[in-house]
Amino acid sequence: MLNNLFPTLARFRFSVQIVMLFVTVYGGALLGSYTVDRISQALPSLSCAYDKMTGDHCILIVTQHQLHHRVGAALAKAGDVALNVFIPTLMSVGVFFMFFFFLNKAFCGWVCPLGTVQEMIYKIGRRIGRPLKRFTPENVGRVRPAKWLMLLVLVLGLPTLAGMGTVANELGDPFCQVCPSRIATTLLTADTEQLAVHTGTGINLFLGALGNALFGFIIIAALAVRQPFCRICPLLSWNALFQKLSPMRLVKKESHEKCEKCGVCEKACPMDIHEIGTAFGSKAFHEDCTLCGRCAEYCPDDDVIQIKFFGFKLFGSSRDYYKARVKFETPEGQPKKRVIPILRAKENG
Amino acid sequence: MRILYSACLFAICTATASAAEPTAMAGHDHGAMMRSQSKIWTQLPLLKARMKGQDMAARKVIMQPQNIAADAIEAWPNDLDDANGHRSLTIGMGGAPLDKPASGGFQMLTAREEQDDAVRVASTVHYFGERGGKNPTTMFDQVKHELEIVPKPYPREHSRYRAKEDWQFSVRFKGQPLVGQKVVLETSNGSRSEFMTDALGVVLINVPDDFKPEEAQSKGESHGMRRGADLVLAVSHEDGGKRYLTAFNSNYGEDAFAKRDLALGIGFTLLGMLGAAPLLRNRKAAANKEENTNA
Repeated sequence: MLNNLFPTLARFRFSVQIVMLFVTVYGGALLGSYTVDRISQALPSLSCAYDKMTGDHCILIVTQHQLHHRVGAALAKAGDVALNVFIPTLMSVGVFFMFFFFLNKAFCGWVCPLGTVQEMIYKIGRRIGRPLKRFTPENVGRVRPAKWLMLLVLVLGLPTLAGMGTVANELGDPFCQVCPSRIATTLLTADTEQLAVHTGTGINLFLGALGNALFGFIIIAALAVRQPFCRICPLLSWNALFQKLSPMRLVKKESHEKCEKCGVCEKACPMDIHEIGTAFGSKAFHEDCTLCGRCAEYCPDDDVIQIKFFGFKLFGSSRDYYKARVKFETPEGQPKKRVIPILRAKENG
Repeated sequence: MRILYSACLFAICTATASAAEPTAMAGHDHGAMMRSQSKIWTQLPLLKARMKGQDMAARKVIMQPQNIAADAIEAWPNDLDDANGHRSLTIGMGGAPLDKPASGGFQMLTAREEQDDAVRVASTVHYFGERGGKNPTTMFDQVKHELEIVPKPYPREHSRYRAKEDWQFSVRFKGQPLVGQKVVLETSNGSRSEFMTDALGVVLINVPDDFKPEEAQSKGESHGMRRGADLVLAVSHEDGGKRYLTAFNSNYGEDAFAKRDLALGIGFTLLGMLGAAPLLRNRKAAANKEENTNA
């Protein structure tokens, strides 16, 4: 029964993503207006608080607010820094970790609404014959530090400084002001408020313009580049901080001689993690991995790559699965057949 | 004596309201950044929440009744199972301090005045940011006074009443919906309008867009927030020789698109899209085109 419903890991993951898209975008409307206040407010995915129908809030907005309103303000008063000032922040991180402990970075690959939207756009890109633009082993390293910069500056640094009064108050939640999920998820609820740029002050205008331009860029780029925003998302780096503390993980054999000449898993990885093909053991579980499982799906050898929970195999690569999988879709996500031929012909013509 | 007490209390409240303390707002602490007007703008009974102290972590919430002579303010928790949740707050010189109950979240606050054949009730909602606070729907459903106006729903965290928006309220008497009941809305910006409840005792209120352009000033726009004002809904009803008047007050902000520009937003979005457009070019097609040009 389950095999019929979910013949591949990809189908199962996509089903989870669709369910979670509804929970994270429309959950409040489906489960009750106040659901958002009760689930966690510390979800390890970009579940936007500006979406008035969302079922839960992203950990990043809570973190920015607490750094802005509590930690930063307390630091400014120096002597008044008390334990109870940090308790709310620690509570948020604690609640976040309770979620994260079980699913690790699968929140990025299975739950995040923006991740799902980008994947859907990429699928459209495949259907209309757009080219695939990949990061090579040489240039992917240039992009990777951006997520740490986003975390340090936009999520941790500026909100704290705003709370201390060092920088302008409008910089209290700068990441949210540039996050494409804010615009994408609110538009999905037919709310255009967040698409309208805030013109209250020069900083509002600057952040708004940057956020909208980034949103526009991501929407179009996702037709040709897999998960374009995920690569610079501060939640990717935030989750990477805790990656090794979860029992849910990607596990690759310590050695496998065929890997040297194969590289199919690298092509399947939507985050262009070339290390999955070249590294072994724990080094193969890179900080950018979102536990989508595509590398395990497209590894043509038995149990070379596995997703494990507390040491138990949840999914492992297998030759038979690989053979069945590639009949319908290439590792890069290109569907076999079904491409709208007119658009490709027009491009080539 | 009661009238004298009422007059004194009102004078104190008005004087305190003039102090430069931020006004509390349910939903989120950002609301405290919104300033409401402290002038006398209505004769209807009100319950105003004021924050004492600037430090958010150590701020005290003081509830202040206006236009009503009540002995106490009743605080109703969202957790009906909390035996200590329902408190009767004694009104002192500056108002009644509102402590945070264990359940946190939304709190319903009411004050009741009964004189001869007249019963007047003021009510409002205060929100304590508390993760895991219970769903307040059961708290709203709980009958607290004879005549009630109950939000359906109340704006949740990160949300608030805003101009031009429609919000529903239930009007009930002794727990039963009042059908075809007139509901009056007044705002501190000077608007006054009337609405009627439907067959289920529900009234749909359209929050007026009554902020004057010349009122824009930096004092009220801390943290890039929009301006705020107060609104009160009131309903009166006669039964058994008694006249009941109940009011529900809250604050509201400017409409969603105030200080926002949709055309500009779309423009910047298109600019971003344009920036990504080269990624969509097919390399082979581009190469072929180049070859043809060279040939």
